[in-house]
Amino acid sequence: MGPVTPLVMESVGFRYGADPVLHEVSLRLEAGEGVALLGPNGAGKTTLTRLAMALRHPGTGRVVTVGRDTDGRRPEDLADVAGYLFQQPSAQLFERTVRAEIAFGPGRLGWPAGQVEKAVASVLEELGLEAISDQHPYDLPEPTRRLVALGAALVSAPLLLLLDEPTAGLDREARARVARVVGSRRAAGAAVLAVTHDLGFAVEALDRAVVLEHGRIREDAPLLGIVGRDAKYPAPPLLALHRRLGLGAVRPTVGAMAPLLTSHPETGTLEA
Amino acid sequence: MTRLGFDDVGFTYPGATVPALTGCSFAAGAGAVTWLTGALGAGTSTALLLAAGLAPMHTGGLRTGRIHTLGLDPAEDGAARALGGRVALVLSTPATQLSGIAETVAQEVAFAPANLGWPRDRIHAGVGRALEALAIPHLATRDPTTLSGGEMQRVVIAAMLVLEPELWLLDEPTSALDVDGRALLHRLLRSEALRGAAVVVASEDADGLATVADRLVVLTAGRVALDGVPQDLLRGDRIWDAGAGSTSIGTLARVAGVAAPRPLSVDEGVARWAR
Amino acid sequence: MTLAPGALAARAHPFTPLVVTAAIAVAAIALPGAMATVALYAATVILVLATGAGRAALRALVPLAPLWLFLFLLHGVLGDGSRVTVAGLSLSRDGLTLAVTQGARLGAIATASLALYAAFSPARFVDAVAERGWPFSAAYLVVATLLALPRFRARAVVILEAQRSRGLRLRGSVINRIRAIGPVTFPLLLGALAEVDERGFALETRCAAGTVRRTALAPPADRMADRMVRWAAALSAGAAVVWRVFG
Repeated sequence: MGPVTPLVMESVGFRYGADPVLHEVSLRLEAGEGVALLGPNGAGKTTLTRLAMALRHPGTGRVVTVGRDTDGRRPEDLADVAGYLFQQPSAQLFERTVRAEIAFGPGRLGWPAGQVEKAVASVLEELGLEAISDQHPYDLPEPTRRLVALGAALVSAPLLLLLDEPTAGLDREARARVARVVGSRRAAGAAVLAVTHDLGFAVEALDRAVVLEHGRIREDAPLLGIVGRDAKYPAPPLLALHRRLGLGAVRPTVGAMAPLLTSHPETGTLEA
Repeated sequence: MTRLGFDDVGFTYPGATVPALTGCSFAAGAGAVTWLTGALGAGTSTALLLAAGLAPMHTGGLRTGRIHTLGLDPAEDGAARALGGRVALVLSTPATQLSGIAETVAQEVAFAPANLGWPRDRIHAGVGRALEALAIPHLATRDPTTLSGGEMQRVVIAAMLVLEPELWLLDEPTSALDVDGRALLHRLLRSEALRGAAVVVASEDADGLATVADRLVVLTAGRVALDGVPQDLLRGDRIWDAGAGSTSIGTLARVAGVAAPRPLSVDEGVARWAR
Repeated sequence: MTLAPGALAARAHPFTPLVVTAAIAVAAIALPGAMATVALYAATVILVLATGAGRAALRALVPLAPLWLFLFLLHGVLGDGSRVTVAGLSLSRDGLTLAVTQGARLGAIATASLALYAAFSPARFVDAVAERGWPFSAAYLVVATLLALPRFRARAVVILEAQRSRGLRLRGSVINRIRAIGPVTFPLLLGALAEVDERGFALETRCAAGTVRRTALAPPADRMADRMVRWAAALSAGAAVVWRVFG
């Protein structure tokens, strides 16, 4: 049996009561892909991610998450292969320590204690939360709580990550951390679908854009083909500079661009 | 004319071992946008709560030093009443600022003016203008609980704008806004300053505020480390020593080894690095 | 739960359903005997149907049915006193009467309360209070109390979704279900407490703590019919109390 496709949506239609929310949505995410789900408010972006997690079920069409048809399945049936980060993640926190909070999921999935401990330690390190791992989540500032919730979604090493505005309310350092974490998870083979309006984060961590408007996919293309080319999605400063300087295939991030721009002190010209 | 003044202010939250603010002194004047920044935990949010009088009254804790907000000490009895409607505090989590009793966005925006006893006509006109200014007239009849984060943030800002405040205190107001919303807010900050209000905004968004703010105050561990012209400070090294950062381009320049004064905008970056 | 379009319950002055529900509750507790309480329950159901909140009567049966069964078993089957045989079961005559009385009391209160919830409009109520010139804090207290339950429910849904997405199972063994309690109730309670705190904060920033008379944005009409109904309800409740005390 070959590798499983993280997400397949075929001609999905969904209504909320009488209001049509999604119409003929077809989407496919392969392992390692990072998709930014863009579009105006009310376009159906969050709904799409909820369908992928079996929080809702399509009226028409099919949703297959990591090889499992969501028809007849519930979110807890997908928890071992998919991770979901909600828009208001603080609401779910309840354990006495950050460590226990992150360990909750794998515990419910029946992982042996040793395996849980290892996974939790790894996630704490990845997100820079070791220092506060024994604190009560409610005593922490909101940005840190959001990182804890992200940790909880990551700890079971899901093959599909569904993130709803993952950088909202985060400070610069935390945003950079999230971008790094998404990058490394993708490199490890997970697919990421993120609803986001943070184009700086998208450009750094993701590579494909799906634009949803009025419940339909208006465009599905490489991210850099849309950001900075479509007036609705202007290039963040680094990308804009990258293009104007013609820096080619290098990633539009500080880390990747800086070495190219380090100038020679005497001549003042760019190092090749 | 100074609308907000901090004089050697210290503040410690209840149960905290380390003070949130120490010897903090700065002033914000009418007709200007004063930008507060600092690393996470530097005290910018606390400063805004103190200015609004919510600390120590609602948060508990101990305050030292002197604060004057529109000429009054916000922690004194009667200050809240006197300042009502004249100081606008916009928190970074908009959902927590909704009244909880409005069934429509229009009612939500009308909430504060109604509490202040404004005549109905004035309220309706003000609500209409505020919704227009935030580009959300189409949300007027929506249930506030169904709004997205970005929409909610616009509604809360509109709900403050309707009061035509003399002093704005905004904490990360663009955290949930999309690209259009951020641009709109920056224009709004400037137009409010033009109207004569004092605008104080705590934000990490150097890219957005570098060209909007008239003054930059950098806090480090509860103390004012820098206070000056934003562009000057952003181009230099001291802002990094103070634990804050610069614009994306300024950050890139620093990592690329460019000495101060560094480029801040894309245009300046192109001028610096294009062959 | 929505009302029928144009329902009387929604068009009435906001104080009217409140006073009527309170009167029904008082009468339900005060009225003695099975016949009076059953009559009250029947009258409540008819009232609720007539004012367009009929679904409340049905919805109320959800918690009422098990309660009625419990009362039947507790008093009817296990009660003392003279017995009567019904369909092969030996039941206590007095116990049955008691079960019916208590059941009718609960029925009236539950039905009226659910109808009130369906008809309640926070904005109209706040406007009604403001129009009278009463302080906003009083209006807010009533609104916050009435909205607490729906808010709680909405919050529980959000928390449940999040925990299920992390693997929480609700079905299956008893152990499973017991283990599901903590992850849902703790954040629910913590969140509710935090919200109370936050709300106070928020209202302060929205000038709600002042002493100025609040403007009624769209004051609801207080018709003669409204006033008459409120007086009638209050007097009836008073009469029920008098009957109970002196009857």
